[in-house]
Amino acid sequence: MSIKRSLLSVPFRFCNMALIFFLLIGINAFAADPEVSDSDEAVKAGESLFNANCKTCHKLDQKFTGPALRGVSDRRDIAWIQSFVKNSQKVIQSGDPTATALFAEFNNTVMPAHQFLSDDDVMNLLSYIEFGGKEEAAATPAEGAAGAATATGGVPSEYLTIILAVLVVVLLLILIVLGLIVSVLTKYLNKQPLEEDDKEFINQKTDLKKVFRSDAFIIIITAIVIALVAKTAIDGLFSVGVQQGYQPTQPIAFSHKLHAGDKEIPCQYCHTGVEIGRSANIPSPNICMNCHMHIQNVEGKEGVSTEIQKIYDAIDNDQPIEWVRVHNLPDLAYFNHSQHVKVGQIECQTCHGPIEEMEVVGQHSALTMGWCIDCHRKTDIQTAGNEYYDKLVQLHAESKSKDALKVKDIGGLECAKCHY
Amino acid sequence: MKIIKSIYLVALSAASLGVVSCGASGENQGLEYAPQMYHSVAYEPLTQIQNEEAGSWLSNREDGKGEFYNSNVHNPHNMNMREPVPNTVPRNQYGMLPYRLKVADLTGADSVQNPIEVSEDVLKEGEHTYMQYCLPCHGPAGQGDGKVGEVIGGVANLTGGAYINLTEGHIFHVITHGKGRMGAHASQITPERRWKIVHYVKQVIQKQ
Repeated sequence: MSIKRSLLSVPFRFCNMALIFFLLIGINAFAADPEVSDSDEAVKAGESLFNANCKTCHKLDQKFTGPALRGVSDRRDIAWIQSFVKNSQKVIQSGDPTATALFAEFNNTVMPAHQFLSDDDVMNLLSYIEFGGKEEAAATPAEGAAGAATATGGVPSEYLTIILAVLVVVLLLILIVLGLIVSVLTKYLNKQPLEEDDKEFINQKTDLKKVFRSDAFIIIITAIVIALVAKTAIDGLFSVGVQQGYQPTQPIAFSHKLHAGDKEIPCQYCHTGVEIGRSANIPSPNICMNCHMHIQNVEGKEGVSTEIQKIYDAIDNDQPIEWVRVHNLPDLAYFNHSQHVKVGQIECQTCHGPIEEMEVVGQHSALTMGWCIDCHRKTDIQTAGNEYYDKLVQLHAESKSKDALKVKDIGGLECAKCHY
Repeated sequence: MKIIKSIYLVALSAASLGVVSCGASGENQGLEYAPQMYHSVAYEPLTQIQNEEAGSWLSNREDGKGEFYNSNVHNPHNMNMREPVPNTVPRNQYGMLPYRLKVADLTGADSVQNPIEVSEDVLKEGEHTYMQYCLPCHGPAGQGDGKVGEVIGGVANLTGGAYINLTEGHIFHVITHGKGRMGAHASQITPERRWKIVHYVKQVIQKQ
C-alpha cells in the first residue's frame, strides 16, 4: 500500500503545484480595494471569523444561500460593507437601493445582525474574503482522487467464481482423458489373442433400457422426486403468514439509501415515536418540509423533482400521503418500539436490516414468534446505569445460572408478555 | 394403473408449486394463515383500509362490511388517528402546559425560563436528542457543518458570535417554531426534550 501511495503522490503533487500556480495568476487578476490588507495575520484572523460567522451562508467564489463574496470590496464601499455586516436589516429599511435589490434577489432571506464585530474585524474578514481560501480549493480535488485510488482493493468473491470455473474445466478434462484411455485400451486388447469370455467382457455394451427398467433405478428416482416435492411443500407451508421479502412500491419513491445512508439523517429524525411510544410513526409531510422547503431536486438539479412535488401537493391540498405499511404484526401480538430501542438499546438495523442501503424498503426479518423468542433467549439485558435492574441482577448472580441476565430470565418467554 | 400414478405425481407437484407461491416477495404480501387474527377489530393508527369490500369473503360482521375494512368515517380523510378535541389543553406528566408564544414573539421568548434543572442525566439525554434531531444540519459540535446543512445552506453555527449570547428561551422558541431557513420542530420533539437540548447546547456546545 505504501508503495502505491508514494507512486501516486508524485503526479498529484505536481497537479497541486500547477493548480496553485494558475490560482496565483487569478489572484493577481482580481481587483480588491487597496485599503484591504493582504498580510497573513489579517487573512488568518479573518478566516477564523469567517468560519465562525459567515461560512454556512456564504462561499467565496460561489453563490450559495447568500452571494459569492470575493471582489466585494471592489463592488461596494468599505463603509457600506461595514454597516451591512453589522445590521443588514437596518440598511435595507433605510431604503438603500443596492441593499433592497440584494435582499429581493436572495428571496428575502434575513442575514442576522453581527453587531459584536468591530470595524477591524470586518476589515480582517475582507482580507480573508479577497486573499484567503485559495489553497483549500486547490487541495481538495487532489485529496479526493488519492482517496478514490487507495479505496480500490481485492474482491474475493470474484476469485471464488474463477476458482470454481477452473475446477469444472479440470474435471471435464479428466473425464475426456479417462474416456480416451478406455477406448485406447479396448482397441489394444481387441488386437491381442484372448479367450471368448474375456472378449465378451471387453466388448459388452451397456443396455440403457435394462438400467431404466431395473427396480433399483425406479426406487431411487421415486425417492428423490418425493423428497424434493415434500421439501418444497414443507418450505412453502412454513412461508404461509410470513411476509419476509415484502417490498411494496410506495406512493413516493423515497430512498432510505439517500436519506439515511448518504446524508446520515438519524432514523429518529423522521420516525419520531420510536423512543417514546409503541409505534415508530411514519413522518407527516411537515417533517419532510423541514428540509424540502429548500431542497427541491436531487443532486442540485434545476427545477422541482416530480417525487418532491408530491410532498408539496399533499401540503397544498391537505391530503395525506398514503404510504404502504411494510411491517405488519398480527393483531394477536403486542410489540412496543420504545421498550426495545430506548430501554433495550437495540439498533434499528438488528430487526429492519440494512435500511440505510435500501432504495425501496422491504421486510428484512421473518417477524415470526420463533424469531422473537430466539432473540429473547440470546440477548443480554442492558442493566448498566439502570437502577430498575439492580436488585434483579443481584438475585440473578446468586442463582445457579452462570450466564449474564438475559431477556428470558425476566419473563421474555412468558406468553402474556406479548399476547394479551 | 400407470396413468393414475402419473396423475398423482402431477397433482402432488402442482400442489407443492402452489404452496411455494404463498411466500411474500415484491408487491405480493403472501398468503395469510387465519386472516381474522391478523387484522385489528379496533381502530388502529398507521393502518387504514378504506375499501368496504376488503375481506368480505370471510366476513361475519354485523354491518355487512368486509372483515378487513378499518377506517373511521367520522374523521377527516377517514383516518384512524384523531386530533385532540378543540379548545382542550393537554397537560403532560411534568405538568407543563403547551407553549403559547406566537412565532414572531422572539422578545417574549427571551424571558421564558428553562423548567428543567441541569444534571448529568439531563445533559446526557440532551446530547442524545441533539444527535438525532439537530446533528443533520448543525453538525456534531454545533458548527453548522452537518451533511444536510451543507445542502440546505444558511445553518447557524451555534458556537459563533451571533448565537453565543442567545437566551435559553430564545433557543427553545426557535426549535419550536423555526426561524429563517430552519423549520418548526415542535411536532417531532416533545417540550421537555426540547428544554434538555437547550441545556446541552448552552452547557456543552457553547460551554456556558
